[in-house]
Amino acid sequence: MTVEIEIAGAVGGFTYDVTLSAGDELLVLYGHSGAGKTVTLRAVAGLERPQRGRIAIADTVVFDAARGIALPPQARRAGYVVQDAALFPHLDVRHNVLIGVERSAEAQRRWADLRALLRIEDLDDRRPHQLSGGQQQRVALARALVRPTHVLLLDEPFSALDEALREGLRSELVRLHRELALPILFVTHDLREAHLLADRIAVIDGGRILQLDTRDRVFRRPLSRRVAELTGVRNLWPGTADGRDVVVAGLPLRLPDDSRLNGPVDVGIRSERCNLRRLHPDGDLPENCFVAGVVEDLAFGNTHTLVLEPEAAGPRVLVEVAARPYEVLRVADVHRWVVELPADDLQIMRRLP
Amino acid sequence: MLRHAWVVLPAAFALFFIVPLVGLLVRAASDGDVGAQLRAGSTWTALRLSVMTATFALALAIVLGTPLAYALASSRASWARLAATLLDLPLVLPPVVSGIALLTVFGRRGYLGEPLAEAGISLSFTTAAVVIAQLFVAGPYYLRSAYAGFAGTDPRFQGVAYTLGLSRWTTFRRVTLPLVWPSLAGGAVLCWARALGELGATLLFAGSLPGKTQTMPLAIVTAFESSAGLAGAVSIAVILVGFALLLLLLLHRYTNAVGPYR
Repeated sequence: MTVEIEIAGAVGGFTYDVTLSAGDELLVLYGHSGAGKTVTLRAVAGLERPQRGRIAIADTVVFDAARGIALPPQARRAGYVVQDAALFPHLDVRHNVLIGVERSAEAQRRWADLRALLRIEDLDDRRPHQLSGGQQQRVALARALVRPTHVLLLDEPFSALDEALREGLRSELVRLHRELALPILFVTHDLREAHLLADRIAVIDGGRILQLDTRDRVFRRPLSRRVAELTGVRNLWPGTADGRDVVVAGLPLRLPDDSRLNGPVDVGIRSERCNLRRLHPDGDLPENCFVAGVVEDLAFGNTHTLVLEPEAAGPRVLVEVAARPYEVLRVADVHRWVVELPADDLQIMRRLP
Repeated sequence: MLRHAWVVLPAAFALFFIVPLVGLLVRAASDGDVGAQLRAGSTWTALRLSVMTATFALALAIVLGTPLAYALASSRASWARLAATLLDLPLVLPPVVSGIALLTVFGRRGYLGEPLAEAGISLSFTTAAVVIAQLFVAGPYYLRSAYAGFAGTDPRFQGVAYTLGLSRWTTFRRVTLPLVWPSLAGGAVLCWARALGELGATLLFAGSLPGKTQTMPLAIVTAFESSAGLAGAVSIAVILVGFALLLLLLLHRYTNAVGPYR
């Protein structure tokens, strides 16, 4: 099944213009709060009416502004789960899930399956306030899936839960996704969650999709400086590219093999992708290396973030070192290092005016 | 002892309500003749009229007020909030003013009253007028509470219910209504109680005709102004207080036991 979205509109003073489509995959809509993720989900669910555009779910056009089509939420077969589950507080679990479909044998059968799949077998008679946050979300998922569903819309479903619960639910969602074979649009502002769950990621900012790509391409080959910033790239410098080479702060660097940009560019590299090497006084510096001195050392428990200033040409760089190599290399005792920016890990983006 | 000294003030406040009621009882026992009033047919007529009209006014408030409160609370338009505020106005008006306002519309010379009178329908100084006066004065208590209830429900419950395929009516009946039930029940009790005690608007708009428009409060005023004086008034008053207390207790039990929200 597929979902195709091409919508534009305004809510309050916020404008959005979103185009994306998804097949039987887990597509993560990633961005800061207020980026336009939730409004996109609500438009698909039929709870928000865009001014322009078209939405099709499983080949059924559910919204088409030009043709005046706007199916009500009831007719869209879109399962919608919100951040704090929104279980009906006056109904027990069973009635929350089966509300409106109590007499459907098909729904009863699916409820039996889902109870096992989501591990909520013994909760039928409980009220929402008697459930943990994780159980509430499972029940909300079951409620969305117990009726015929052609797309599953999850709006930050795990962000109100503590980390341990989230881990469990995430892996369960991945399992569920394999069983269901339907598009799942998953909204999150949590980078790690996006990375863990996504088949593909749509990076949203200011009501626009900046990049929609496979997870690895979004993380390794961001299209713009803004995407790099949003996906946690902490080293970003202006540079001048010339095919496979780029000059950053006077330092020539080799770029990945597939680079073809010329002229003013932004160059980025994730701080955990930078290497530190011991300085040998008489050796030549290899490609993409420069000498720099540690000016700051921030300890984050399992990692350290070092700030290094170049001695000659080269950019100021943040390098993340895991705790173990940090100790083995005795980073704390050494001031001068060779910093390597591996060509394959360099990201190169056209500089937007 | 000093640790609990703060209790004095709230306790005094509670007594402020209780002592006059006790005074009423004591006075009725010493001066009045509750037994005679209870045997008098006129007391029962007034009581029956009071209960009937107040209950009818409440029924109208629920039937007409629930959709109105829902519509106002669901609307995002700014005029809806203005309208909700306007509907509170009868709460602050002296009931006598409400009575005059009703006369200007429904009175024999009123904007609606005159055409109605020509059609052979006269409202003022009838039992229907009592209900109208009570509805006008007490209805806003129900409206206010229902509006607050509907406005306070998380709109996401509705949104989620729609995506689950529940129609608007099913959503209202099975999701929204149970959630606002406490507000509706509380508003209903207030509305009914206020209607039962209504005096000023009824007096002006419906008059004080025994058996027709003379409700309990009016009967009490009439007794007070007659030769029976305070003694006669307290006797009827005690009957009204006792009856109201009984019905309030029953109503509370009923709304707690029958409400779909438990």
